Amino acid sequence: MHNRSIAFWLFLTPVMLGLGLVVVVPFIYGFIFSFTDWDGLKATTFMGLENYVRLFKEEEFLSSIWFTTKFAFVSIVSLNVIGLGLALIVTRNIKANNVLRTVFFMPNLIGGLILGFIWQFIFVSVFNDIGELTGIAAFQGWLSNSETGFWGLVILTSWQMGGYIMIIYIAYLESIPKDLIEASKIDGANSFQRFKHITFPLVAPAFTVSMFLTLSTAFKIYDQNLSLTNGGPGNDTQMVAMEIVRTAFAENEMAYAQAKAVIFFMIVAVIALTQVYYNKKREVDL
Amino acid sequence: MLRKTKGILVAMFGSVLMLAGCSFSSGDSDGATGGEKVTVDVFQFKVEFKEQFDKLVETYEEENPNVDINVKTVGGGNDYGAALKSAFSSGEAPDIFNVGGPADVEQYKDYVVDLSDTKSAEAALDGTLSSVTVDGDVYGLPYNQEGYGIIYNKEVFKEAGIEPTEIKTMDDLEEATKTLDNKKKELGIEAPFALPGKETWVMGIHLANAYLADEFDHDVMKAYESETVAFEMGDQMKRFLDLQNEYSVQPTLSLDYSQQVEELFSLGQVAMIQQGNWVYNTIYEMDTDLAENNIGLLPIPVKGYEGSIPVGVPMYWSLNGDSSEEEIQASKDFLDWLYTSDQGKEFVMEEFKFIPAYEGFDSSKIADPLSQEIYKYAEEGNTLGWVFMGAPTSWTTNKLGVYMQEYIAGDITWEELEQKATKSWEEPRK
Repeated sequence: MHNRSIAFWLFLTPVMLGLGLVVVVPFIYGFIFSFTDWDGLKATTFMGLENYVRLFKEEEFLSSIWFTTKFAFVSIVSLNVIGLGLALIVTRNIKANNVLRTVFFMPNLIGGLILGFIWQFIFVSVFNDIGELTGIAAFQGWLSNSETGFWGLVILTSWQMGGYIMIIYIAYLESIPKDLIEASKIDGANSFQRFKHITFPLVAPAFTVSMFLTLSTAFKIYDQNLSLTNGGPGNDTQMVAMEIVRTAFAENEMAYAQAKAVIFFMIVAVIALTQVYYNKKREVDL
Repeated sequence: MLRKTKGILVAMFGSVLMLAGCSFSSGDSDGATGGEKVTVDVFQFKVEFKEQFDKLVETYEEENPNVDINVKTVGGGNDYGAALKSAFSSGEAPDIFNVGGPADVEQYKDYVVDLSDTKSAEAALDGTLSSVTVDGDVYGLPYNQEGYGIIYNKEVFKEAGIEPTEIKTMDDLEEATKTLDNKKKELGIEAPFALPGKETWVMGIHLANAYLADEFDHDVMKAYESETVAFEMGDQMKRFLDLQNEYSVQPTLSLDYSQQVEELFSLGQVAMIQQGNWVYNTIYEMDTDLAENNIGLLPIPVKGYEGSIPVGVPMYWSLNGDSSEEEIQASKDFLDWLYTSDQGKEFVMEEFKFIPAYEGFDSSKIADPLSQEIYKYAEEGNTLGWVFMGAPTSWTTNKLGVYMQEYIAGDITWEELEQKATKSWEEPRK
């Protein structure tokens, strides 16, 4: 580990080069551009913090942050509940185990854009037909107001990523030593107690991993947002990523959008790091 | 022009292409010297005619063996702009590219080339060049013309006993709509209209433009220079939006373009939609008979302009001034060939199915009935200008269109809509 020979650096070079060229350099460039009036072609003046001051006054940007935060919170909860639930189902001794795992994981293989269109059809047409048949008004008018737009996005994301989170939980559930379970059975613990005192603490690292994953994904969602609601109606379901893209490419304010992206990056970084820090503390080492 | 669903899919494809490292071969200018091959890179946005355009390029290359034309197509309004920008800033700028109007010309003013000496510029119809002309220099050549209005189902109108030629004013239209609504069971339609409230461009661009054109004297440049927008015809705009919304298939806010055109209009579920000639191919694919024989175009009723429809140029060809002399000349020759030679004209009419924006075309050869009707309006001069390209960048779709959604949702009143829209027009123009 401490023997950092030439070979060590040699093996590392390709990765460092790739990371540097496609992540670090553009990031620094972007950071610098955020202080200018860059329009994508040329930057003429240095504006200092003007872009940053302006974005904190922009209602549209702030409301997209609030919407994204709400969305991230709800989908983290739903994703982890669904993921863990599915994992618990498929780690029991059922015959259909492998089939079920494949089925649950499948939505994750479909691109977000296409999923968005599929669910759009389900929400708008299928739900509407169900509503007409059963007379339940709750099924009608989906995606035509901000509440159903919000829940539509949550359902779509949960459905898509649930299987992926399930895989992570499966890995941890299967690595729980059988002797611990057996010992607890001998001691007379019922299945709820076993879950609470053995399974749950031992899959804590999985929470760290999957909460980090779901949090960053939920914050950065773009394609599902685009194809399902396109931010509408009235920008009510516009998430930060989409707001930034629009500022950059539709309103043509590249530098201003870059400033928004920097702020967005900071928010995500702070939330994610804090959360990893606290979860790490809670983890149980075997 | 704006086929959104397709646009999104194409955008996806486009971004994949970009990721795959699509770039123009550098050093192509090297080969341009001494009678050798000239390579012209074309970067264009019209996805709908990509195949036909490739065919045209092949024909041209056969006739001009010393010219080599590379075509890149990236579709959908915004994505084209982004891709073009990255092409320019990465130093791999194309020789021929597209601009949409004055804002684009302004942005690329360091690059664009004066085209007033080309044959095409001379042949361009009156008024089609105004939005790309700065101080007498012409920086773009029009692709084609497009127009829009209320597309209606002739058969449904006939069964309901409505004479479309008698619909002139808003009152007439409202009456006809009510008649259709009362008879909708017998006519087998769901509603008279289908308003795609999800598509901010249908409302923010096209609907609004009909009522904003007068305010700017039908002149894009006037809109481009204007510091404010007054909504002089705001009452009429509101009335037309309300009418479409009230008598549409509900809920309108989740209704999109493909539902409007494919599901509802093409299948005869609604009698009218506010759209333009670009929907023809879609309707044709869904129901050939309906497209060929049963659709007509009604003007959007605007006081003082009864019987006029908005007609305009959606996109222009521009040349890159950083290219070599040979490349610029070859590009000009190519565009002239496209719009002024017999062979080129044949392509424009029969393959591209364009409504030509140039003189010297035989209008009887226009492919579809909608385009024919639009060309007739244009010929007779019964047109309203396309002023939306002169609005602040993305004001139409991301501001006005969005406010219209909020208005439909009942979140804001029409007065608030006008106030907000005026404010967001003024802000970037200070």
